Amino acid sequence: MNNTTDKKPTLRKMMFVTQFEELGFGALQSLLVLRSAGLEHVILMNVIERDRVAMHRGLGYDKDEERRLREQANIRFIDWAENLFEKGLEVGDYIVVGNVVSDTLEAAAAEDADLIVIGQRKRKMIEFFYSGDDIIELLRRSCRPVLIYKELESNSCYDACLADNPFCRTLLAVDWSPASLLAVEYLKTMKSVVQDVSVIHVASPKELKGTSSLNIQQLRKEKRGQLTKICDELEAEDIPCRPHLYVGEPVPEILRAAREFNASMIVMGSSGTSVWRERWIGSTPRTIVEKSPYPALIIPQAKEAADQTQ
Amino acid sequence: MGKKVLVVDDDPDVRLFSQAVLEENGFTPVMAKNGEEGEEMIRKDPPELIILDVLMPRESGIRLYRNIKTNKKFKNIPIVILSGIAEKSFLRSQKVLTEFGGDPVPDPEAYLEKPVDGEELADTIKKILG
Repeated sequence: MNNTTDKKPTLRKMMFVTQFEELGFGALQSLLVLRSAGLEHVILMNVIERDRVAMHRGLGYDKDEERRLREQANIRFIDWAENLFEKGLEVGDYIVVGNVVSDTLEAAAAEDADLIVIGQRKRKMIEFFYSGDDIIELLRRSCRPVLIYKELESNSCYDACLADNPFCRTLLAVDWSPASLLAVEYLKTMKSVVQDVSVIHVASPKELKGTSSLNIQQLRKEKRGQLTKICDELEAEDIPCRPHLYVGEPVPEILRAAREFNASMIVMGSSGTSVWRERWIGSTPRTIVEKSPYPALIIPQAKEAADQTQ
Repeated sequence: MGKKVLVVDDDPDVRLFSQAVLEENGFTPVMAKNGEEGEEMIRKDPPELIILDVLMPRESGIRLYRNIKTNKKFKNIPIVILSGIAEKSFLRSQKVLTEFGGDPVPDPEAYLEKPVDGEELADTIKKILG
């Protein structure tokens, strides 16, 4: 994966991780717009969670159930693969028994995937309590961009593009962290699919307290200037872009902006928050992923050179 | 020593099955679990026939097939495709790749859909290798 600072990001290989109920062929098809951004190879992945085939009291490991689940996944993947092969794409598949996060990261490393796509499953409270959220764990440990795919409900004709291209109207949330600046680079690789970008920064209300109106205006000018620089970079790549400065709590403001600009996707850098803080207090990307109805593309920090597969 | 046949398949059950069929019929089987591994083995020591799956991790059979059939040194090695992927899809994919600027490739020597009968597999190989 080209995710180090000295290499430009590429989008040749996509790993599509599905448990089928949350992410189907329709989602995969909508992502094929990425072909114009260089996508050549799709890796289909299904992880059969261990507790579906093991640890049943008195039964031990259920080999027959494993075989049944593997074949069930295989039948679907063959169907999908035929479709993709016929479009001239290279396709591979993994059907494994194990842990979604570890096995996905392991396969992504073996395949050198440029993008991991995963859907969000509804989990019971008790499952969440014991095993946490797979997606949050994946985001924390992945050194590769992760797209958390969600079906957006398109309720008007203005959004004809939404059904065909989830990247068409992108909201890029920046805080000028290294990861969010990498997100800008990543968007450039998708210039053929991104039709419009709104770049947003959410300033904290604390920054506005106790200062004169001139200072506040100065702050606005500075932030706006920084946003405009990002827009200039994107526009140099022929990606239409508009800067927006919001004030408030990051998560609700980002979601508000996504609604206001009819975004099809939110793109942002991953959090630099520590594991402990991330788990118990959370971070903006984490909360966006959990609460937002929009697909979210999270770009990791470059310093995380390798996936934490263990 | 019988003629060497390379089996490229990510499914361990299929590798085991093919190995048994090949040995029973006097061939020398060698195994690879994905296209990348298979390609390396072909370059090191070309087999007399290849049994190739299509849908595999690392490098699919579609890519490996093209690489073999467009390589001067290896293009005459007969290939039997053994896959769950429909023959029509395989042939169409090769056609599309050719249309996208790739070299044209001939059709495989045989196409068998999984699961295959041991006798059918052995007969197909014998017919090709003479």
